Amino acid sequence: MNAPDLQRLQRGDREAWVDAFHWLWPAASGAARVTLEARLPSEVEDVAIAAVEELVEKVPALASIDEFRPLVASIAHNKAVSRLRQHFAAKRGSGRVESPGDQPEDGGEFPEAVAEDSPVAALEQKELAERLGRLLAELTSPQGEVLADYFLRGLSYEEIATERGVAKGSVGVYLKRGLAAMRRIWGRGGKDV
Amino acid sequence: MNDQEFFDLALKVIGRRASDAEREQLEALLASRPEFKTQFEGIRDDARLAKKVLPLMEAAGSSSGEFPAYARERLLTKVRQTLGQTQPARARRGWNWRWALGFAVGAAAVVLLLLPMLTRPAEPIIQVAMLDTAGPVRGEDSELDTLKAQWKHSEVRTFDKAGQVDAWRTDWPSGAKMVAKVIYNRAAGEVRVILYGPSKPMEKAFPVGQDLAATLRQAADFIREQTGK
Repeated sequence: MNAPDLQRLQRGDREAWVDAFHWLWPAASGAARVTLEARLPSEVEDVAIAAVEELVEKVPALASIDEFRPLVASIAHNKAVSRLRQHFAAKRGSGRVESPGDQPEDGGEFPEAVAEDSPVAALEQKELAERLGRLLAELTSPQGEVLADYFLRGLSYEEIATERGVAKGSVGVYLKRGLAAMRRIWGRGGKDV
Repeated sequence: MNDQEFFDLALKVIGRRASDAEREQLEALLASRPEFKTQFEGIRDDARLAKKVLPLMEAAGSSSGEFPAYARERLLTKVRQTLGQTQPARARRGWNWRWALGFAVGAAAVVLLLLPMLTRPAEPIIQVAMLDTAGPVRGEDSELDTLKAQWKHSEVRTFDKAGQVDAWRTDWPSGAKMVAKVIYNRAAGEVRVILYGPSKPMEKAFPVGQDLAATLRQAADFIREQTGK
């Protein structure tokens, strides 16, 4: 699906927006799912819809259509993190928001996404959206896919080489360059945010 | 060992994919070459960051996942409230023409509907309506055409208020023995068939997926099965 026209969206053109909802949805729901799938999967759609609503408010200030998807993903992510924190606070019965050191009572550790020192959770929406946008632009194919294959899907160098049609020796090169790009954008280990 | 080889080995150990021999090789390297230790810690930090950032990056670049139809109205309302006009003026003028045309077609369809009543009383009368609470949008014309193509001899009515459809669905043609009412609800993404006949009224809903025409065929098959026509 092609990106909608920015000016039509800013004018509130109905047709452009109907197309935009379909175009934005994978980013909004995907980002919400990353955080909520394990604990609150039924909240994913609600959070994604709320994220698109919030994006609509920000549209007059946006300068490029390329900003839309990273922004809606970052809004959805932050909303999902808030929702999860509320969930744990409610579980504890006090209604207060968890502090980073607290552990929930419903078993297990605090999810990574909720921890306030997470390099992703610590960022403001705008900054997170900017970094995601830069990362998407910088990790050209197949660098982004190779990184996801290795770190998210747990594939070996051999499996990635077969899957992506590249030499086995190149897989490590793609990973090294991909991590370097991520470090340039995010800072070492996300510590400089 | 060059930089790339060290990186590959370090990544294997960090990801717990290394053999005992590879782990020992790395430990020996770190012990003998202090500069590798800093490099190793950097790779470990980068890998940790990648695991946190990549899921979100994948989501932001993803193109899979179907937008739920029920959310459309809520979001269009938000667009209207925030950005004002949600429909180009040109399209609105076009819609006025369409209403006029629709009225003429409707009048002609009434005649078409009356003919089967007079000549073939045993055939079920099929009445078709489309409910679009959002008003005219792109793609609606082709959907109207799809409805008309499925039931060529039936008038296709369009409504923009649920109350109008409720009134229409209980409005029986006088003298008809069997009536099938078909309602396509765009916002709900559903085609509903209501059969009125000598026995108890019957109702069935068909969810609309990617292919409206296929759903309409299912609805038509259902009517045929139930009426024997």
